[in-house]
Amino acid sequence: MSDILKMLSYCVEVGKMDKLSPYPPNMRGEDGADELAKKALDSGAKPGDILEKALIPAMAIVGNRFSKKEIYVPQMLMAAKAMNSAMKHLKPFFQSGETKRKGKFIIGTVSGDMHDIGKNLVAMMIEGGGWEVIDLGVDVSTEKFLKSISENPDAVIGLSALLTTTMENMKKTVEAIKGKYSDSKILVGGAPLTMDYCKLIGADFYSPDPQGAVNYLNKLVS
Amino acid sequence: MIYKTFQFDFKDLKLTVSQIEKVLGYTEENSEAHFSELIGKALKEAAEVCSIKAEYRIFDDILFNDPDKTVSVNNITFDIKKIIYGQLKKSESAALFLCTAGEEIGKISRRAMKSGDLLEGYIYDVVGSEIVEAAADLMQNDLEKSMASSGTKITNRFSPGYCGWDVSEQHKLFQLLPGTYCGIRLSASALMDPEKSISGMIGIGKNVRHLPYTCNLCDMKDCIYRNLRSEKKKN
Repeated sequence: MSDILKMLSYCVEVGKMDKLSPYPPNMRGEDGADELAKKALDSGAKPGDILEKALIPAMAIVGNRFSKKEIYVPQMLMAAKAMNSAMKHLKPFFQSGETKRKGKFIIGTVSGDMHDIGKNLVAMMIEGGGWEVIDLGVDVSTEKFLKSISENPDAVIGLSALLTTTMENMKKTVEAIKGKYSDSKILVGGAPLTMDYCKLIGADFYSPDPQGAVNYLNKLVS
Repeated sequence: MIYKTFQFDFKDLKLTVSQIEKVLGYTEENSEAHFSELIGKALKEAAEVCSIKAEYRIFDDILFNDPDKTVSVNNITFDIKKIIYGQLKKSESAALFLCTAGEEIGKISRRAMKSGDLLEGYIYDVVGSEIVEAAADLMQNDLEKSMASSGTKITNRFSPGYCGWDVSEQHKLFQLLPGTYCGIRLSASALMDPEKSISGMIGIGKNVRHLPYTCNLCDMKDCIYRNLRSEKKKN
């Protein structure tokens, strides 16, 4: 791997977004993920290599460190910011089809529930894992999920809920999706959820942290 | 029936940057200046925009049903489940309470998230949660002092959504606190608006106790407050 890709990977890992970013303080004034992604492309690196050799491994390190409680949400958010600043240079290649991602992931917080921090974290980590994320937001009706699945039939679906009351809505949404798209894969997450509840409502996977969701998705396409 | 309302000044809460850092997971050894600055900014802004209110109403008409582990307050039955039942069962009366940090802190958090600044949005969200918890502590301390004058004690505060008490039971709680001073609205899914609000019940009686640490009673093993409070207890 080239030095630029190594440095890009490191910048994402430590959350160095761009040259102007004051974080982390020991890298003040140095190039960040934004500049390095551009430099990598200018020096002839393939967009797919930038994604697979620099960004995805960096976000995997971040996800694993978070799972082990070596870093916390603020550092993970800084890493995701850095990843996004690199990713913007790759978006034209995704849109043209020149660079392929691993698949599509539809995510939303279920009907009646407005909580979005956990959902956003998972969405960012999955995007950093090389997936195209379609974020439907919060308070998402079953119909909205079904419409998005009809437009993206191969997508994996992620449902989030933070309230025991809206876990019931999650169950209804899972039933509706499985009723119409029996082969679909559904991940569920949120503070009050458990693997037992996931099984009870007929979802396919539950993860207590974002990296678990990334690992599950990667298994689906490996 | 005793009914009391509170409007707190932000400075009464005595919230500090290091307190918020602890909630985020950091200690004095591994805290980072960048995050400390953002927290400091959020606390400053919160001091200007938050409208921090609380209220409690004391009900003497309470009845415990041991086989069902329920308590009826003014003939409304709360299915509080065995953990909370165990803590409240010796109560002779109950204070139902509401507390809010107001609308603005939640709005700022959402605005930041929408604009793509998830870190700032997250920090304001955590600051909002800590404001409402600190305000509830003050309200609870006031209740404890009021009761102490007549030789009566209080339990810890318990909220729907914790220790097995279903969050949907907030609807019953709000029935007993009509036209709230705090101005909190409840959605069909029992989500409070303003979102940085809490509701719950405190037991009152001569033979109840207030425990310094109750998280070990709860079944939410991954709750962030569990570790924090466990540390507080150790210190």
